[in-house]
Amino acid sequence: MLKNKVESVIMEVQKPARYMGGEVGSIVKNKENVDVRFAFCFPDIYDVGMSHLGMKILYSLINERENYWCERVFAPWTDFEEVMRREQIPLYGLESYDPIRDFDFIGFTLQYEMSYTNILNMLDLAGVPLFARDRGEALAPIVCAGGPCACNPEPLADFFDLFILGEGEEVNLEMMDLYKKMKDEGASRSEFLKAAAQIEGIYVPSLYEFAYSEDGTIASVTPREGAPAIVRKRVMTNMDEAYYPENTVVPFTEIVHERVSVEVLRGCIRGCRFCQAGFLYRPFREKSTETICKQARALCDNSGYDEMSLSSLSTSDHSDIVHMLDELLRYTDERRINMSLPSLRVDNFSADVMERVTAVRKSGLTFAPEAGTQRLRDVINKNVTEDEVMRTCAIAFAGGYTNVKLYFMLGLPTETDEDIIGIADLAQKVVNLFYDTPNRAKGKVQVSISTATFVPKPFTPFEFEPQVEAEEILRRQALLRNAITSKKIRASMHVSEVSRMEAVLARGDRRLCDVVYTAWKNGCKLDSWDEYFDGEKWLAAFAECGLTPQFYANRTRSYDEIMPWDHLDYMVSKSFLIRENKKAHAAETTPSCREKCSGCGANACLGGACF
Amino acid sequence: MDNRVNYRAVFEKTGSAKYISHLDLNRCMQRAIRRAGLPAWYTEGFHPHMYLMFALALSLGAESMCETMDFRLTQDMPPEKVMERLNAALPEGLQVHDVHTPRDTAADIGSADYLVELQTEDVPKLAAEWESFMAQEQILVEKKTKRGMKEIDISPVIRVLSMTQEPEKIVLRLRLPAGNEGNLNISVVTDAFKKYAEQPFLTAKSIREKIFCHNGEVFF
Repeated sequence: MLKNKVESVIMEVQKPARYMGGEVGSIVKNKENVDVRFAFCFPDIYDVGMSHLGMKILYSLINERENYWCERVFAPWTDFEEVMRREQIPLYGLESYDPIRDFDFIGFTLQYEMSYTNILNMLDLAGVPLFARDRGEALAPIVCAGGPCACNPEPLADFFDLFILGEGEEVNLEMMDLYKKMKDEGASRSEFLKAAAQIEGIYVPSLYEFAYSEDGTIASVTPREGAPAIVRKRVMTNMDEAYYPENTVVPFTEIVHERVSVEVLRGCIRGCRFCQAGFLYRPFREKSTETICKQARALCDNSGYDEMSLSSLSTSDHSDIVHMLDELLRYTDERRINMSLPSLRVDNFSADVMERVTAVRKSGLTFAPEAGTQRLRDVINKNVTEDEVMRTCAIAFAGGYTNVKLYFMLGLPTETDEDIIGIADLAQKVVNLFYDTPNRAKGKVQVSISTATFVPKPFTPFEFEPQVEAEEILRRQALLRNAITSKKIRASMHVSEVSRMEAVLARGDRRLCDVVYTAWKNGCKLDSWDEYFDGEKWLAAFAECGLTPQFYANRTRSYDEIMPWDHLDYMVSKSFLIRENKKAHAAETTPSCREKCSGCGANACLGGACF
Repeated sequence: MDNRVNYRAVFEKTGSAKYISHLDLNRCMQRAIRRAGLPAWYTEGFHPHMYLMFALALSLGAESMCETMDFRLTQDMPPEKVMERLNAALPEGLQVHDVHTPRDTAADIGSADYLVELQTEDVPKLAAEWESFMAQEQILVEKKTKRGMKEIDISPVIRVLSMTQEPEKIVLRLRLPAGNEGNLNISVVTDAFKKYAEQPFLTAKSIREKIFCHNGEVFF
């Protein structure tokens, strides 16, 4: 029994509860009655993965089906990995303790690029061949992946049998149904993959051949064996009818987000040009207040959590936000539940909403102006004016807040030194505003500036843009640091080396599979953890494979270049992205979808206009 | 308005639940009480929180049949009803055996009994080593104090109630001091023996069976 073996060594490691399962809400089934087993793998540690909303939805969805069983799997922290390798404990599902190499599906969620080496490490710990081509003709296990980074899966294409594009609520079950049918018929892996490629939203990378030009760009992508030339993502068209769990696994040990997540809407009306999520998850669809309240109550009652978070890309864009908050607060106040709203926007942060948020908790306030000057904010289409930032901060200060966090990006297209100094100026104005507020709270004001390095992403109007070279980013960071004179302003800056690797992987092609493999071979893992990221090892992997990161990260791509993801359809058209890119360079803004449709193409799945 | 009724739940912490740390146990029980829909009493003041008290901490990895948790409800409810609702909300391994009105306080606690199973290939050898381990004049262990590490002698406070040899294991019943004035974790004893013994063994079980007051009565 694997469980006994794990128990005999588990006290050697930190936080053993991460590896033991048995949590309230976890689902254990009788194997004898199960036809298809799915290992849902989150390529990071338990504490991070257990906070992820998508996994909660798909875990419950699959387990609703009596004869399907979905289990959870996470990357072990290094201490347990060492023990697993020493004791030859294969990667197992937390519910059954069965090795996942014996499952029908091993499914990863691709949330961020820096988790890619963890995937290889987990497959290795599972004892599954890393390269799809080495898995033979036996049907199981099918190694698959979904999530936002599946929009350009090429740097992982060699390791996966198939990718799932878009929202998984329907397509996951369709895929499992097909699998069960073909398993009963005794089908081989290649027969299944060929059939699966016919399901909308499923991309089987081995059925597409890439040819490259002399300059290294893609010359052509050719589908084989009847696979569709273009694979379109899946979308849930009615959010009130879409599956949402009423139960959730409640961990014993502390995780990143200790709370119930209530999804209020999908998509975003804003069209910020740097934001991949804002385009990938289009079209905008919201749940009714009634649905939201019903789901919130069920999740809180069943989990016992005393914190609830409203989840979306921009919660204040919900058309019924004030009424919705009132309804929710009536319930949460009575139950002593804290409500948090992580995604509020500066421009429509009204006194009404403010009042309701203050009723919940008076912690810090977070805004993301993203750029320091109006010109650059127009370039990125962050339709927020300095007046709006000031007005909102004034409401906040009068409402008793003393902490304001401001998020910015460095290295945005067309950025000049003036834009960078503008960040420090804006922060200083917020500090001054605090002292000009007559009825402000007692105490000192604290303005925190956080800057990330801009990473150009697929399916955004900036997919053509080069990333600013790492050295130049360092200069710009220093420039910003020197422009800050007040002690009331604190600045923290994201490591640009990591951002460069993100830029490479985000827009990489299939040749990068060897780089990812070599980096993992050389010891790269847990790359999203500062203490483990090793840029030198990544660069060495590039050199070994005869490729350069500059080709992927720092090159301007022409509008007619074939991108590695052009055969995948996320419903925003390339002509729209080009149009938006041109407007960016002219510093012209695009109104929100609610004001005026900009014709991105995503409304096609709704069969008409979004609004 | 401020109606509060005191309850004490006696519960087991076994199986997977033994990997729940003391801090996490607090969180876990709060959620269970909320799931059970019990009318918990919250502290007043700026940051109200659910009132919960655990009489005696248990080392991570050890099991117990006699953990206690004190809490308050704003309504008087029959203890059996409270127990039933809690058990429906609690996972396997954290089941409540009894709910009653607390009689003793944490300060009354004086000792606790443990059952320990040490799995080994050579039972007679390990048994002999246990005998000689306990026959030492001193059993020195390192103890973390505010001023760094300190060596202390634990031999005077370990009471061996029994030691039996069984197939593939020796079974110990020990009474150790517990509570505010001098607590000795069972893992300190097994770790010290592990260092001492030549015969390798695995601590297959380590269960707290009973908690006693200074006056010798079972903590209630």
